[in-house]
Amino acid sequence: MAILKEDELDIISHSPEQTHRLGTRLGALLYAGDVICLSGDMGAGKTVFSAGIGIGWGAFYPLTSPTFNLVHEHRREKDKLRLYHLDCYRLQGAQDIDSIGYDDVISGRGVVVIEWPERVIGSLPSERLWIQLRILDANRRNLIFSAVGQRYKDLIRHLRGVSFGV
Amino acid sequence: MTYILGIETSCDETAAAVVIDGKTTASNVIASQIDLHAKYGGVFPELASRAHIEAIGAVVDQALEDAGVTLDQIDAIAVTRGPGLVGSLLIGINYAKGLALAARKPLLGINHLEGHVYSLWLTQPFREVNFPVLVLIVSGGHTELLLMRGHGQYERLGATLDDAAGEAFDKVGRMLNLPFPGGPNIERAAQMGNPGAFPFPRTKRDQSFDFSFSGLKTAVMREVTVPASSEARKKSAPEKGLILRSDISINDVAASFQEALVDTLVEKTARAAKHYGAHEVFMAGGVSANQRLRAQMRKETDLPVRYPPLNLCTDNAAMIASAGHFRYLSGLRDDLDMEVLPMWALSNNTYNVRNRP
Repeated sequence: MAILKEDELDIISHSPEQTHRLGTRLGALLYAGDVICLSGDMGAGKTVFSAGIGIGWGAFYPLTSPTFNLVHEHRREKDKLRLYHLDCYRLQGAQDIDSIGYDDVISGRGVVVIEWPERVIGSLPSERLWIQLRILDANRRNLIFSAVGQRYKDLIRHLRGVSFGV
Repeated sequence: MTYILGIETSCDETAAAVVIDGKTTASNVIASQIDLHAKYGGVFPELASRAHIEAIGAVVDQALEDAGVTLDQIDAIAVTRGPGLVGSLLIGINYAKGLALAARKPLLGINHLEGHVYSLWLTQPFREVNFPVLVLIVSGGHTELLLMRGHGQYERLGATLDDAAGEAFDKVGRMLNLPFPGGPNIERAAQMGNPGAFPFPRTKRDQSFDFSFSGLKTAVMREVTVPASSEARKKSAPEKGLILRSDISINDVAASFQEALVDTLVEKTARAAKHYGAHEVFMAGGVSANQRLRAQMRKETDLPVRYPPLNLCTDNAAMIASAGHFRYLSGLRDDLDMEVLPMWALSNNTYNVRNRP
């Protein structure tokens, strides 16, 4: 029997820098249409991880906290693809989701990174990568990646490969 | 004399103003939605859009009436094109297009951050600006350090890598159970607190001109909160999972947090001003209303420091009209089919490339 679950990855990051690098590894593997959900308390490292994703994906501007504007639309030089970075903390229900152009965001034209995804859980696609971030102490964080759907199982397998060579 | 009508709806203020020659505020009307959003602890996009739709006609009419002019006497219409909330920006830009089309007036799409810079041109009495100027824009959505070499010439030196300064105020305010917005409420609490009570980290003390405030926010959180019991979690704030420690002085936390944040802003700004040989330091945006920031900035740099009057620190349309005035003089115009730019960094090529993100 395999030691590691195929559709789950459980990692302990020892510093914000490590969390950031892990995001970078994931970012480099993402395609248009991928939906990445980052769930965790304030200070758990959602935005740090997102910033790493932005570097790996090649975003033109650094990914910063989307809290104020709720959605940031990023582009990159090499192919003009988009990455949408959402903070759903203040969203409640379908009307709010409409008002940030969610239908466009989720239509598959770009990568979607969602902070506070539990707030819009009813509107999320059924297939997605869910990353639960938990605070262990001042610097250490536990990140659990869970895949729903074949694309995300493949993604976890690739991530495991580029991060740990297994 | 040049009359510019400014319209601003990028976030939660519906605003219109008439500015003469870029410096004289003939009218400045703001319909604030702050009470509407206070109970949510932040701006709520759908509510904001609806409130803009309801207010914009009356706000623009009032601005023209207060200035004692008709739309015919206006030389150009300046409107915020971004950055901001898409739904909110659209209300302003579409209204402005309608006016421009109906009255056959030139249309100018203005960068909201450039608007904040030009709030400094509206301070009275006005002294001529001695370029180059180091500009710190600090607000709920932005923390930017710019070198301004002349009208419309901006070099972006640094910006926040995570939370904006105003956002850090809001988030810490929420932790301390203070009302929204966090800035003024933390400042008030801080006046009665000891800034040396907690040694919060001065984040990003490196050679770059970028900022980072999420580490500071997390340090404050670790100091002042404890995990909620599962009972409390169910009852009040299931998303937070944290409750405020009852044995802690909110005033001391507020003062220590504010001190750490102000120290970081001042240190980077003063160092950048020196490094780039700036002749003056400008501060703008909502957080530039903070008295501690103003006092420390004056203390830590030998250069003249300017900041806007309190009513022009937060979002307003007079600053958009003023920025519009200098755009208008430069001869640049926008088409009626211009789109909103929700992400739009202010830099030298801001107006050179059309429809660029």
